Order: sequence, then structure tokens, then C-alpha cells
Amino acid sequence: MPLIEVNNLVKDYKLNVRKKGLLGSIQGLIVPEYKMKRAVDNISFSIEKGEMVGFIGPNGAGKSTTVKMLTGILVPTSGSISIGGLSPSRDRKRNAMRLGVVFGQRSQLWWDLPVVDTFELLRYVYKIPEKTFKSNMALFNELLEINAFMSQPVRQLSLGQRMRADIAAALLHDPEIIFFDEPTIGLDVIAKEKVREFIRFINKEKGTTMLFTTHDMQDIEKTCQRMIIIDQGTTIYDGTVQHIKDSFGTTRTLVVDFSENVGKIEIPGVEVVEEKDRKKWLRFQKEQVPVSGLIYELTQKYGIVDLTVQEPEIEGIIREIYQGGIKFDESVCRVC
Amino acid sequence: MRAYVEFAKKAFQNNITYRADYVAGVINAIVMIFVNICIWKAIYEDEQSVDGVQFKILITYVVLSFLMQCIYGMDEYHIEYKVRSGSIGLDLLKPINFSAYVFSYNLGILVFRIVMQLIPALIVSIVLFKMYPPFSLSMAACFVLSTILGYLVLYNLNFIVWISSFWFYWTFSLVTIKDAAVMILSGALLPLWFMPQFLVDFINLTPFASIYYVPITIYLGQVPMEEIAMVMVKQLIWALGLFLAGKVLWRIALKKLVVQGG
Amino acid sequence: MEKKPLYNIFELLILMTKYIKLSLKSILEYKFDRTFITIAIFCREMISVVVMYLILARFVHIKGWEYDEMFFLYSFLFLSYSIFVLFFAGMRDFASMIYSGEFDRYLTRPLGLMFQIIVSRIDLSAGLGHGIVGIILFTKTAFSVGIIWSPKNIIYYIVILISGAIIQASIFMFASCFSFWTIKTENLRNMLFFNARRFSGYPISFYPGIIQKLLMFVIPFAFVNYFPSQFFLNKAEMNSFWSGYLYLSPAVAAIMFVLVYAFWKQGVKRYSSTGTSM
Repeated sequence: MPLIEVNNLVKDYKLNVRKKGLLGSIQGLIVPEYKMKRAVDNISFSIEKGEMVGFIGPNGAGKSTTVKMLTGILVPTSGSISIGGLSPSRDRKRNAMRLGVVFGQRSQLWWDLPVVDTFELLRYVYKIPEKTFKSNMALFNELLEINAFMSQPVRQLSLGQRMRADIAAALLHDPEIIFFDEPTIGLDVIAKEKVREFIRFINKEKGTTMLFTTHDMQDIEKTCQRMIIIDQGTTIYDGTVQHIKDSFGTTRTLVVDFSENVGKIEIPGVEVVEEKDRKKWLRFQKEQVPVSGLIYELTQKYGIVDLTVQEPEIEGIIREIYQGGIKFDESVCRVC
Repeated sequence: MRAYVEFAKKAFQNNITYRADYVAGVINAIVMIFVNICIWKAIYEDEQSVDGVQFKILITYVVLSFLMQCIYGMDEYHIEYKVRSGSIGLDLLKPINFSAYVFSYNLGILVFRIVMQLIPALIVSIVLFKMYPPFSLSMAACFVLSTILGYLVLYNLNFIVWISSFWFYWTFSLVTIKDAAVMILSGALLPLWFMPQFLVDFINLTPFASIYYVPITIYLGQVPMEEIAMVMVKQLIWALGLFLAGKVLWRIALKKLVVQGG
Repeated sequence: MEKKPLYNIFELLILMTKYIKLSLKSILEYKFDRTFITIAIFCREMISVVVMYLILARFVHIKGWEYDEMFFLYSFLFLSYSIFVLFFAGMRDFASMIYSGEFDRYLTRPLGLMFQIIVSRIDLSAGLGHGIVGIILFTKTAFSVGIIWSPKNIIYYIVILISGAIIQASIFMFASCFSFWTIKTENLRNMLFFNARRFSGYPISFYPGIIQKLLMFVIPFAFVNYFPSQFFLNKAEMNSFWSGYLYLSPAVAAIMFVLVYAFWKQGVKRYSSTGTSM
């Protein structure tokens, strides 16, 4: 049985229609006018224990609303959520006991106090046995080097340090499921990598089920096997990251640095998308034009200084999906 | 000059957003006047002279004091905000006099308060509470002039407190203590004639009486005609003295800002 | 099936002390600032005491109320407010927790919402500022107004202070609950609360009937200080009120809290069906 089961989840918001001016606001108080907005429209999916799933979608797509319903912050309009047999809204506290939540933009650490104080408090909030607490602290220090800033007030930490401490805080009680909301936002490349590495490790070691919402496709590519794309309240893709790359990332770009100016190049199925000095970017479909053949052809004809083949970035693919450039057929989605 | 008029205008417009607060302010003033009148009534009931002159003078005193409180309100945390956010650095780069800018900004607020608070509160007060009219027309003119001087004394005192934000991160405490001192020592809550002599002697050495007590007693005709010029000169001296002190402090603050690089 | 609660009383008490310890530690991070704020609040609150003192120095008594009696009456306001902001400041401030998103975090914790709101805020500066004024007034007057501090009276006094704190907490919480509907009521609240409090500094018999009724039944400050002090002072003017009012404060506090709690429940329900992000 899956750990998380979401069936026909719907969330409607009642939006207060605000009128302008003093009279309007008084009128709004007495006779409020509402507009319904469907933020989540009939979403279903299930997640097995130990999976790492990335939720992505443009702003306002409904992904954070979905996560808020999963964590028990919001109550669904209709449909059901079951997390290990509990409903997050009806059994909020019991469900919360098994959850960890990391908001990248909002720390749960006490701002003016040393990190260790919040950890001590969480120990009592989640009733963490002494042994677990100690071994987790040791583990987190080994991987995240948190001891270095444990006794510093949170307000003095760098963003990277704060994020590491926040993630450790959310994992302290060995939650079965952990939600990451933009866990790497604002971090530099090295800090991001450190966080991702840690997340992967915890998933492997402890079998923690992990859900991400993020704008950073690298987060998803480097940590998740599975990806759920939400747009306009519905799931438009649910499957592996590799699958989306294989099915839609079929274009390749060959960057060629010629030894001389070669003028126009005309090869069937190949399009010159960019030119700069003696460099050209050639785009083609990998099924139509074999790379090896193309390179052979070019080296025969021209003097070439350098060559590189570019695979499409997942980010580019997603962008195309948002913009409607790639159409999904039914077979692609697992649960559509 | 034109720029400063614009600052005042801008402050005026900014405050339109808070008009609910101003309505609350009017109600607040009315309620406060009412509470105080009730208390004075209870006091004078014992003395059997609720209809007496003394009582009516007190009512007038209370009403005037709270109406003046309406318009004496300034933006106490404007400079603090600018210092803390660092935007003061940008302001100092502009070809304007910062002190004049702050003053014009507060003038904008003053105009807004006169329109949104003073006038409604005044009308309600005249209808509800039986206050005395000014002692005479010339006294009324002197009262207005003296109130303006009172405003300037308070403004320059406030300015000194505001500048302290260059040294303190938060000025809430200092502003609050200053307010407490002003409320008691200026006679805003209780006329000086009810205070013990030693306190009055002390107050006479400070600028506080110039803020509320002097204008109100002029209105009530308690300052003899020949002394009016004298008390107003005293107000002016206090305003100038505090202004100069503020200038000096501002210089020191600037030096500190330059040394620390903002 | 009856579900076992997640925490027993003992665990909750430990949690409470942990939270309070952290709050106090946070406050002490800014010792200088906090001390200064405490002094400022003390000065601000002392203004009305000084005014009252100066008036009484001149007139000796007002409507049969003397010095010590007036200050005794006044002391209830400060002491109960102090208890309120020391223990229930969260009920005053939770609107800001909603705006800052802190409330979302509370929803993801296995603890009760009201519990988290109450334990995560202590306003030490205001608590001390008001508390010191209250203690000064109380010690100055408690033994000079002819009260015999029998065990019965002491218990009554303590119950009254707690009731007063709950009444004031309920008023604040009622106003804060509107933020669940994204309505800002801060200014209206401050106006109603602090004006009512100003009225209550003096005996309600000073005011016309309508104001008395307001202070008894709408913003029931009369049960915070007027009736409780009448229990001790037995002034003749009490004849114009029903004598049962002397004992009603705890009931008023309980009723107000229950009503406000129901309103809060509605608010939380409303919040979890809309959130503030939209």
C-alpha cells in the first residue's frame, strides 16, 4: 500500500472581490462579493515509502496549495488525502508527528538564539528519545558540519548555514515523510550541492519519503527519480525524470568552432540556430541525424578547431511544456 | 523651495491611506475629552460648583489641550526608519537640506491633521461640550500665534530625540519617555495651577510649558495683555534654542555617519 | 475509538517551561533595549497615576473616593494587565503570526494551536512596566484602605486578578481573530481597549449610565477593577448596583473566553479553508 494516497483532490478558494474607495470597502464589509478560484483541480497520485518526488510548476500552478493540504495547513474542498492511513486535516497533530517540513524562505529556528536551543526544544516537541537525538546530532554534524555554528545565534548565520540547520531541525525526529519547500533557494552552488548530497544520503540511509517543491530544476534532476508537473491545478506529467528527458529531449545541439569562416552550411535536418565569429550552433533531432555521421561530414568538409554536443537541459524542456510547446499524450502520464 | 512644498504634498498624500486611523484619532480625542470632563465634573460636584467659572474654564482647558494634541502629532519614526534602512544615505546625496525636508514632511502631516482631525473634532467639541469662546478676538489671534510657536518648540524637541536614532537602533523608548515628560510637564493633562510650587518652578526652567500651557492660558485670557509679548518671546527663544541644539546634534550625527561610511 | 492524546499533562508542562525559557532567553539577548523599553513603559503608565496623584493632592477626595481607595482601584488594572501580557501575550499578538506565516508553521507541529500561540510569546517589558506600577500602587494602598487580608480575601484577590487578565486577553483575542478573515482591526482594537481602560482608571460611578453599561456589558472592564475593589472597599455607591456583581468577575471571564474561543475555532476553520496566500 502506498504511503501517500491522494485521490481527486480539489481546492477552491473564495476570493473576496475588493472594491475601490471608502464606500466600496464598507460595501465589501456588509455585502461581501466572492469569486471562486479553483487552485487544485482533481489531482490524484500515490507515493510509495522511500520515494523522492519533485513537484514543479509555474507560480500559482497549485503546487504549494497541494503541499499545504498534504501538511495539514489547508483543508481540501473535496477529494481525499491519506498519509499512512491518516488524514492530514482531521488528524493534524498525529500526522504532524511523522512529518518534517522545511520552508526555504521561513526558518523555524529561534532567530535570536543559538541553533542548539531550537534543537533542544524540538526534542521535547517531538518527544525524541535521548539516544535517537544524540545519534542524529552526530550524524548531522558529520554530514552538514553543524557543530561549527551550533552555539551561534541564528541571526548571525549565513544563509547556507541557516539552511543546513533548518534541514537538520526538520529531520531531528526521524520523520517518515519530509516536505521541502524551495530548500536551496538563494544558496550558492557549493551550498546547494551539499544540501542535495545530504538529502540523498538521508533518503538512502533512513528510507525517508521526500517531497520537494522547487523552481530549481537541478534540485529535481540531482535528487528525485520522479517528478510531478502541475499546471493550472492539474497534473500534466507524473513520471521519471529520465523518461521526460528521453521522450522530449530529443534535440541535440552541436557547437562547432571552425578554423575559418565557412559561410552558409546546408545539411538536411540541421538548423543553424546561432552564429558567432567562426562558431556555429547546429540543432538537429537525434533520430533523424546521427551525431557521428554529422561530425564525420563536417570534418570532411571543413577545418574544425573544436566540437561539443549539447543535450537539452531539463529546464528547457519544462519551459517548453509550460509554454505548450510539448504536448503530452495519455500514455506518458501514469495517473493523468 | 518648490521641492519642499512637494515633500509636504507627498506626506499629505501618504496620509490619505491612513484615513481610517485619523477617524479613529478623532473619536479618540472626543472620548478623552469626555472622560476628563466626567472626572472634573465628579471633582467639582464635591465642591458644589459644577456650574461655576472654575469648572467651565477647566472644560475649555481640557478641550483645547486635546484638540492641540490632535495637531501636534508628528511622524516620530521617520528618521529612525531612514537611518535603519540606510536610505538616509541616498537622501543626503540629494541636493536638499535634510532637516528642511523632515520639517516640510511634518508640515504636510500637520495640514492633513488640521483638515482630517482638528476640524471634525472642533465641530463636535463645540456642539457637545460647553467651552468658552476665546477671551477676545486679539487673544484668539495671539492664541493661534502662540500655538504655532508651541508647535515649533515641540518639533525642535522631537527632532533632537529623532536624531538620537543615529546612536540607538530603536528610539521607541526615548520617544515614549519624551512623550510622557511632555504630557505631564507641559500641562497637557493637568493645568500647571494645580501643581505644587516646586514642580512649577522646575517646569519654568524647561521648554515644556511653552508647548501646551502657554497657548491655552492665552486663550483663556489668563495672561495679562502686557505680558503676552513676553511669554511669546520666551516661546520663541525656546524654539530657537532647541533648533540650534538640534543643528549641533545633527552635525555630530553626520560626522558619525561619514566616519562609519553610512 | 477513543484516541489517546499525544502528550500527557506532565509533558505539556515541561514543554511550556521549555518555551518560556527560550522566550526569556531571546528577550535577554537585548538586555539594554529591553530594560530601556521597560522603563519607558513604566514612565508612560505612571503619567496617569501622577495626574491622579496631583488632582487628589489638591482636592483630597472625589465623590467620596479618597487617595488610597482610588489607587487601590487603579492597581487592579495594572496588575491584571501585567499578568495578561506575561502569560497570554500570544493572544494579543497572533495576528502578526498569521501575517508572517508563523501560524502555518504551528499547523505543521503536533501541538495544539492555542497552546503554541500562548507559550511562544511573553511580553516581559510590558509585563514589568505595568507590573511595577501595579505593585507600587498595591503596596501603597492594600494595608491603608482597611482590608483584612484573610485567606478568603487573598484567594478572592488572586482569582480576580486572573479573571481580569483573561477578560483583557479575550478582548484582544477577539480583535486578533478578525485577521483570519484578513480584516485589520488593530487600530479599532487599540482605540476600544485603551479608551475603555482609561475610563476604568476612575470609578464608573463618575460616568453617565450609558458609559457604565458599556463598561459592564460590552467591554467589561468594570469586572476587572470596579466591582472587585468594591468587594474590599464597600463604598455606599455600590447600593445602586446589584450586589451579585461583586462575585461575577470569574464568570464574566469564563463566558468571554468561551465565546472568544468559539470565534477563534471558526477563524482557524476559515483560515485552513483559505490560507492567507490567496
